[in-house]
Amino acid sequence: MSDLVLKDVRKAFGKTEVIHGIDLHVTDGEFVVFVGPSGCGKSTLLRMIAGLEEISGGDVVIGDETVNDIAPSDRGIAMVFQSYALYPHKDVYGNMAFALRHAGEDKKLINERVRKAADILGLEHLLKRRPKELSGGQRQRVAIGRAIVRDPEIFLFDEPLSNLDAALRVQMRVELLRLHQRLETTMIYVTHDQVEAMTLADRIVVLRDGRIEQVGTPLELYHHPRNAFVAGFIGSPKMNFLAAERQGATTVTTHGSAQIEVPVEARDGTGPVTLGIRPEHVEMVAPEEGTLSGEVLVAERLGGETYLHVDLGNEEPFVVKADGGVMQKTGERIGLRFPPQALHLFDEDGTAFEHRERHALIA
Amino acid sequence: MTDTPDTSRSRRGRSKSWGTAATVHAVLLGYTIIALFPVIVVILNSFKNRRGIFTEPLALPGPETFSLEGYSTVLSEGSFLLYYGNSLIVTVVSLFLILLLGAMAAHALSEYRFRLNGILSVYMILGIMVPIRLGTVAILQLMVQLDLVNTLVSLIFVYTAQGLPIAVFILTEFMRTLSRDIKDCARVDGLSEYRIFFEVVLPLVRPVLATVAVFSMIPIWNDLWFPLILASSDATKTVTLGVQQFIGQYTVNWSAVLASLSIAILPVLVLYAIFSRQLISGITSGAVKG
Repeated sequence: MSDLVLKDVRKAFGKTEVIHGIDLHVTDGEFVVFVGPSGCGKSTLLRMIAGLEEISGGDVVIGDETVNDIAPSDRGIAMVFQSYALYPHKDVYGNMAFALRHAGEDKKLINERVRKAADILGLEHLLKRRPKELSGGQRQRVAIGRAIVRDPEIFLFDEPLSNLDAALRVQMRVELLRLHQRLETTMIYVTHDQVEAMTLADRIVVLRDGRIEQVGTPLELYHHPRNAFVAGFIGSPKMNFLAAERQGATTVTTHGSAQIEVPVEARDGTGPVTLGIRPEHVEMVAPEEGTLSGEVLVAERLGGETYLHVDLGNEEPFVVKADGGVMQKTGERIGLRFPPQALHLFDEDGTAFEHRERHALIA
Repeated sequence: MTDTPDTSRSRRGRSKSWGTAATVHAVLLGYTIIALFPVIVVILNSFKNRRGIFTEPLALPGPETFSLEGYSTVLSEGSFLLYYGNSLIVTVVSLFLILLLGAMAAHALSEYRFRLNGILSVYMILGIMVPIRLGTVAILQLMVQLDLVNTLVSLIFVYTAQGLPIAVFILTEFMRTLSRDIKDCARVDGLSEYRIFFEVVLPLVRPVLATVAVFSMIPIWNDLWFPLILASSDATKTVTLGVQQFIGQYTVNWSAVLASLSIAILPVLVLYAIFSRQLISGITSGAVKG
């Protein structure tokens, strides 16, 4: 058993603190994704777990051992880097065997482990090649193979797919999922790509400015974001936000007239709030039937679906995900209707109002 | 149809590039001749007798003028081989120290965050701007106090100091471009900082090391100043100094001078041949590789 526990972990560079007390418990075998905009500290946090950055405060515990002062190689981790970081002067076999050779392992064991990892990743025929003779996807596979060979308790991935082209990224994503199913090892994965986060993770950790914004399963974050930041970060295209005024416990008005009832836990008081709804949940109706209506500014046609950017008089256009076959063109007026259960409400600080009912998919 | 304009454009492009290439080659050829001329004259005349050298300095050695007297004088003169050995020892040891210490310093400056890093790197490369010969008197006093005058060690110290600034400068710049991931990866793999330097960083900077080696080697091998001042005893003379023995106050044994110079060129050529393949990629790697 090798749970990973972070207790009030902090990191400061000189006087500037970049990680402000992170608490997290990753159970054995979990696939956890750290996601956040660039500069949020996700890579730094990963490097602290790896032991490549000093820990300024708090504890990192792997299994039942506090590893703050333990060298990276003794933490039972293996790391896969964004730039692959293969040793250019060694062939694929040499790269994969390097750590074990260095640890003075038996040659037969090394050979066995390298062959096995190469078999898992389909690298057998490439073992004699140098890194520069490999394609990007193959290099990344070697980098992953090098991690597998070490048989770690925890895999750490630092944006491993961001140097690959789109098609390859999708393919490698699936391979990573299958690898996780096969190895059943804890994996911690850093990315800025929310699609990778949604598809790979058992649990997602959303970070901003060195703080955890929310931890949860992908669907939990999607359906029950704790605040406006998470709501905006998870989902693509991002959630629409409308400035609104709270009238009663759960009733808001937006754009002057439109009265909307949001099924959230009631709170006292009135005042400015933000209404959120995802583009895929908006219903498109005739202009006069809609709660709100506006003019189509741009229609992005992807074939299977169409993103309509609608002008509601706000700074940012309101995005509606519509069917690929919609006829509406630029300049036409359309009406918008919001299914109540898909609405999100955030107070002035951006904190979400709790939904009265949890989404059916989330137990 | 559409091919026609393309072809003409490419033909024009080709003729233009042919013109450029011709100019470039003419310049390079001219420079090569100017640079090689003295060397060739030295080598040619080293195979002639005294008469041949003075009557027709530019002629090839003919049956009448051909002679190996210069070489036989030089090689029979026992001390010349000693000087030759001195030069080799001083150059090779200095070069080794420059590369090792320079690369280590550059690694530290480019890899580790520590206070005074910036000041230290400026301090290290300040030597590029200050000619070491300005300090000759102080160096001599120092060597006298350390009792190192007339030893090869004194020369090795001086040359190491002379070569380090440029080595640190070039290597630091290059090492900054190395990916941090690969060193981190080695750390995760359990390598000590020293082994990361020797097993990961050094192989990656090999081309640059070759470049630095060639740049540092030539001034050391050719130097006359410091051997004359610090190590002019018979046992510690270097080749450049040793040649002087054939230059007397009244007569100069030109055959011997030219022969010894010709021999002195050899090791530089050999070392250059060893390094040159790496050298090209070293010089261009900073510019071409992103």
